[in-house]
Amino acid sequence: MQLKVKEELFDEPTCEHNIQKKEKKACKTAVPGSSTGGCALDGAYIVLSPIRDALHVVHGPINCLGNSYNQRTSESKGNETFYMYGMTSSINENDLIFGSEDKLKKGIVYAVNKFNPKGVFIYNTCVPALTGEDIGGVARELTEKLNIPVVPVQSQGFSGGKNLGNKIAGDALFEYVIGKKEPNIDILTDYNINLIGEYNIKGELFLIKKALSDNGINLLSNITGNATMEEIMYSHKAGLNVVVCSKALVYLARKMEEKYGIPFIEESFFGLSSTNNAMLHIAESFKDAKLIEKVKKNIESKTKIIRKEIEPYKKFLTGKRVLLYTGGVKSWSLISALNDLGMKVIATGVKKSTEEDKNRIKEFDANGNIIMLDNGNPVNLIKMIKDEQADILLAGGRNQYTAIKSLIPFLDVNQERSNSYTSYEGIVHLGRQIYLELNSPVYDVIRKAN
Amino acid sequence: MAKMTKEEVRQTKDWMKTEEYKELNFKRKSIVINPERACQPLGAVLCSAGFEGTMPFVHGSHGCVAYYRNNLSRHFREPIAAVSTSLTEDGAVFGGQANGFEGFKNCLNLYKPKMFAISTTCMTEVIGDDLGAIVNNARAKGFLPEDVPAPYANTPSFVGSHIDGYDNMLAAIIDTLGVKSESVSDAINIIPGFDTTTGNINEIKRLLTIMKVPYLVIADYSNTLDSPLNGEYKLYNEGATTLEDTKNCVNNKATIALQKFSTKKTIALLADKFKQEAKAVKSPVGIKFTDEFLMAVSEITGKEIPKEIEDERGRAVDSMTDAQQYIHGKKFAIFGDPDILTGLTSYLLEMGGIPKYVLCSNGNEEFKNDVEALLKEYGCDEGEVYIDKDLWHLHSLVMTGPVDMLIGPSHGKFVAREAGVPHIRLGYPIFDRVNIHRYPFYAYSGVINLTTWIVNKFIEIVDETSDDAHFELLR
Repeated sequence: MQLKVKEELFDEPTCEHNIQKKEKKACKTAVPGSSTGGCALDGAYIVLSPIRDALHVVHGPINCLGNSYNQRTSESKGNETFYMYGMTSSINENDLIFGSEDKLKKGIVYAVNKFNPKGVFIYNTCVPALTGEDIGGVARELTEKLNIPVVPVQSQGFSGGKNLGNKIAGDALFEYVIGKKEPNIDILTDYNINLIGEYNIKGELFLIKKALSDNGINLLSNITGNATMEEIMYSHKAGLNVVVCSKALVYLARKMEEKYGIPFIEESFFGLSSTNNAMLHIAESFKDAKLIEKVKKNIESKTKIIRKEIEPYKKFLTGKRVLLYTGGVKSWSLISALNDLGMKVIATGVKKSTEEDKNRIKEFDANGNIIMLDNGNPVNLIKMIKDEQADILLAGGRNQYTAIKSLIPFLDVNQERSNSYTSYEGIVHLGRQIYLELNSPVYDVIRKAN
Repeated sequence: MAKMTKEEVRQTKDWMKTEEYKELNFKRKSIVINPERACQPLGAVLCSAGFEGTMPFVHGSHGCVAYYRNNLSRHFREPIAAVSTSLTEDGAVFGGQANGFEGFKNCLNLYKPKMFAISTTCMTEVIGDDLGAIVNNARAKGFLPEDVPAPYANTPSFVGSHIDGYDNMLAAIIDTLGVKSESVSDAINIIPGFDTTTGNINEIKRLLTIMKVPYLVIADYSNTLDSPLNGEYKLYNEGATTLEDTKNCVNNKATIALQKFSTKKTIALLADKFKQEAKAVKSPVGIKFTDEFLMAVSEITGKEIPKEIEDERGRAVDSMTDAQQYIHGKKFAIFGDPDILTGLTSYLLEMGGIPKYVLCSNGNEEFKNDVEALLKEYGCDEGEVYIDKDLWHLHSLVMTGPVDMLIGPSHGKFVAREAGVPHIRLGYPIFDRVNIHRYPFYAYSGVINLTTWIVNKFIEIVDETSDDAHFELLR
């Protein structure tokens, strides 16, 4: 049985459970009997499925995929958009008994012949992992036969949660994709960077890319929003890795540093000061006085423009109290964005945050009174909002209706968000959306009625 | 590995629209592309939401539950509670009993349910966990108090679909709670089946109230998943079927299920074990099936169908005749769950529409025969019924033999866009339109709603696409 994922994946120096205990245990596994988050498959699929010219085949019963495909708002511009298709081997009872490796092979060969992709990702799920199917073998065989990379992703759900899945996906990219191709010389400039963990939700990548190119920085590869297989294959040629989703893919950045000597920094593009800092840190990494000068100039002029644009919102939002309940990197990066808008974060969720994330939170926490919320089950969240007199909840879709039922204004900042919040334009969107939400007359209508 | 040029991409796309490709596509056996179905435990979770103070308790890997909560939450736009026993590799090796115990304990502490509705995921089915033993041992060891019922159903995803999960869970709940007594009440049971349109359930209740028929809706989530906003979030909303009523439902006069394929097991249980008059009617979509449903109620209860409802019928027929010219001769591709499709086919045929493709991922031969019999009855020889097919098959179908409209859940929107035809959302799931599930498509009100949506969409398209010369006030 292929039950275990790589031991190494559980070894995360930045995780508290690694520091505190000597045993290597996956990031917090879910507690039986309480509400749950996504699984390793969910995490892996989120990371890899934005690669738009590869096929993404989930090897499992119909619904690991059936419940989840096409449900993230990763956007893409390009000819091939295979991530729009959900593909699965759809294991049924017979397959379970007689094995389904052949079915999987046939299915992939069929799809590759029809769609002509540049690569294939096979995602493992609980059932074939339990029955001991060898997707690694299938992938090896098909790589030779089809002449494109076929990548096995050991993302069986019982291994752990979303974060582990992110790591598994990063590991698969590192093992099977990165470094397999050299870039064309004319796409390289003096300052080449990769973004790691940017999934182009609602086109956020396009905003970041614009800000980067304004500063003369070349985005060589984006892992993985709007990415092509080719671009990830030659990502090892970058001079710097910028990790924008710290928990999930810092593992990949570390591996790339070990193997290719690419330094990495962790940055956030949420908010004005964060975006400015990110640009500056990138420039400083290249140790190039001319670039730093240029970036500083740009920052100055951009800051003026954006400050002016968010002024009307900021006037209204100053002093308003926010409860932030979201995952990993956003637990600190959004604090900075909200501070830019003059708002006061009273608590932030740290269920999926690393020690590093927590330290970052402290950095942004001027008075040291942001509460770190570890258990955000609906009942807890509502209680905290009432106790702390929060004006608005910023969280993900699963808590949206809980908040609304309690007449608490809500804004979705997770993957289903309906606006792009990164980079310079993003902060204006964020200010506007929070302003609109807090000003919605609809809550008053009901409050008066009660 | 050269990059595909725009031209090559276009050629590939064009080829995918050909008859030749369609043939190849229909030979495809080994891979499903763009599935249009959910799995058993999702149906079980939905069913559980219809019972008072009940926590859907899914035994297995934890990620599955996150999916169900997401999906149901997005469709209903309501908070959805469900928990998992979160098995890991250890569970795979040693079995899931320890997780079950801990799950009961934690869930009772955190959420204080009145009942656990236990279902399974693939993982626990593969390792062969014995739910009965886990429940009994949990009771013996004090993890599960005697006064908290814990009906359980096996709901593997690699068998059947969400409609079977709904059925298995409901049968388990009635079987566990139901207590036969000597006295029989006058009330009838209504079982909605896997129907995520809360408006339908409310519509049926309204009609029965007008008929003065005492009734009990079993697994009634029309309130819990469409709860009024009053400023207070409740984990368990009011208005679900109470456990007391569920206990006594087996002593009611009869049971009518509004869906056939998602209640097979439950109906058999009520008929065989509890000796109740139990039957499934065709989902009351369109005039004919609504008539049949009302007559069935009338026959069982001996109550007349009052004039008020007859007038409603008259108005619905009037709305159809006002608008039939816009639908008559139009071709439709419809997809989704079997019972809804049977009803929708009947309605379209009544309007003179042509259900050119009826595509059902989770339908069986019986469903196919039902729909084909309907097509025959109306002399529609153009209709084709497909079972066990996915949305990529549908894509091939509408690309090679065009239709004027798609009707079905949200996932079909990509096919509709590619084909350049409108898409009316109906069924489950609907992620990209608001409030659709609050409007009934059942009964006579449903006829008016369906007609309104379909016809106005056609008229809007005429308005949007006509040149100045043909842009008129009258349509």
